[in-house]
Amino acid sequence: MRCMIRKHKNLLNYSFDCLRRYRMRTAVILITFLVATTMISAVLFTKDGLEREAELSVQSAPDLTLQYLKGGRVEPINASYISLISEIPGVEKVLKRTWGYAGIGKYTFVVVGLDPDGLDYSRGVITSLEDGRFLTPEDEGTGNIVIGKLLAYMLNVKVGDDIILLSESVETNKFHVVGLFSDASSIYTADMILMSLGDANKFFSMPEGQVTDLCVYVSPSEDPATVASRMNSIPNLRVLDQDLLLRGYKAAYGARGGIFTTLWTILLVAIALIAFSQAIVVGHESQFEVGLLKTFGFSTLDIIEVRLAESLVIGFFATSLGMLLGFSYAAFLNAPGLVDILLGWAYLPREFRLPVYVSLQSVFSIYAVTVIPLLITTVVPAWLNAITDPELAMRRAAA
Amino acid sequence: MIEVRNLTKIFNRGKFNETAAVLDVSLKVKDRSIVALTGPSGCGKTTLLSMIGLILTPTSGEILYDGENVLLASDFWRTMFRRQSFGFIFQHINLLPQYTTLENILLPLYSSDVDPWEYEGKAREWLSRLGIADRAEHLVEQLSGGEQQRAAFVRALIKEPKYIFADEPTVFVDEETSRIIYNVFSSLRDSGKTVLLSTHDPELMKIADETYRFCKGRLV
Repeated sequence: MRCMIRKHKNLLNYSFDCLRRYRMRTAVILITFLVATTMISAVLFTKDGLEREAELSVQSAPDLTLQYLKGGRVEPINASYISLISEIPGVEKVLKRTWGYAGIGKYTFVVVGLDPDGLDYSRGVITSLEDGRFLTPEDEGTGNIVIGKLLAYMLNVKVGDDIILLSESVETNKFHVVGLFSDASSIYTADMILMSLGDANKFFSMPEGQVTDLCVYVSPSEDPATVASRMNSIPNLRVLDQDLLLRGYKAAYGARGGIFTTLWTILLVAIALIAFSQAIVVGHESQFEVGLLKTFGFSTLDIIEVRLAESLVIGFFATSLGMLLGFSYAAFLNAPGLVDILLGWAYLPREFRLPVYVSLQSVFSIYAVTVIPLLITTVVPAWLNAITDPELAMRRAAA
Repeated sequence: MIEVRNLTKIFNRGKFNETAAVLDVSLKVKDRSIVALTGPSGCGKTTLLSMIGLILTPTSGEILYDGENVLLASDFWRTMFRRQSFGFIFQHINLLPQYTTLENILLPLYSSDVDPWEYEGKAREWLSRLGIADRAEHLVEQLSGGEQQRAAFVRALIKEPKYIFADEPTVFVDEETSRIIYNVFSSLRDSGKTVLLSTHDPELMKIADETYRFCKGRLV
């Protein structure tokens, strides 16, 4: 056993010597893999983070969201639907919600209006605050708002300040900040302005008695999908459950991430070609060396072990370092150049952190697309040389 | 003892450039002897040496070591046999240029289950005997042709193999190095080794116990 370990140690030492000896090839592979894996991991880890945020966000969304369709388009829904929906078995609570977008300068933010009187803080609402307080029934129609950290940073406002928003009817509306969402990493509260339903309806000039959608909370003992199926008989109603919302979010971020992944896959193919061409450059030298080693009594398995160890060491080192750099680029530098494409936002201040998440699936994928091509381009030629007569391998290399 | 029966090697068989390098050669090499293969360039000496050294597969024929036809054995077995019993000295020396003299000498030991650096002392002793002890840490490209040949000698002998194959060992070296080489071969024979070599060198043939002459791939 000790003899076997000694032999493998010798082969491993020889592999390290090879990395030192073929300095140029080692450097080219190291640098190209480093650049590629840095960028790929930055994209994938950011996409993973956004998808994870979406999952967390959907968990705090209502069980079902109801919208009114007119001619296939989404239109405001009449609040009178509440009584109809509330009678459906399994429905625990129905809340009105009005939401839309508001522009401040060149930036756009999400305005959400909820009825503070009906809010169930134990479920479905993000209430974690960094400063100030959440909305209460007394805030109805007062212009009090809770805002996200990104908005607070960009407008340089804090709890107690007032902000002016331009409404649907192009009128200025003054709002008073009473709270600040705490979760700096949450994309979904970052650009949110939460106000009372009355203020939102007024801000968006909603017709009397109408809101943008209804939030339905299902009894814990009921399956939301079953309850949703009971609403099928109600005409012109679109029922969105959490799964559907999640698929929508993931499709959006997945598609953006997918574009980049495709681009980087193309780049990786180029990298594989570079690695392969490097293997060719040292091919004759390597072919000769394999022949010589076989003459000395290295077996085919020994040769493969040496080349395998070489590729694994350089591949795993470069890829791991690349992932570390990619993570740092996204997590600490906010991925300049990528963030606007992935998020759809033009600007993300340094104080606001991207929701970067390292999933095992992405880590394995990155290793797979980098280490495996390298193994193939180095081990296969070595194996082909190793199964050739040593004398012929050396003659061919010298020719 | 090594016995070669009807050994033939044809390169590129069935193609337009088919070449018969060795044709129907039979010979015997006794243990503890020096056997020289000689003949004009391109007559098949190197090919025959490579086949007997199991680094080139013959087209037909038999190679017996102590009565065992090793060509019937697996590639792995032949590799193990080479590792344990053979030492090679090549015509073109074949040292790896990026390694030092000492590293090149220890290279054959990396496939074995010993620590190559345990043999450092022995390697230095050989280098000293061959007069290049001060070149141990030099890169190969910093060595003269004669020094490289001597280093290649030490590499072939470091594992103390039973059989030593030497292809034109004195072709690129000066008289002084040649004399050293003659002495080394003689002492190897005296210590129980078997040396099979190809050469044009008349002085080297003088120390051989037996000489086979080749012409156009055949024994003459």
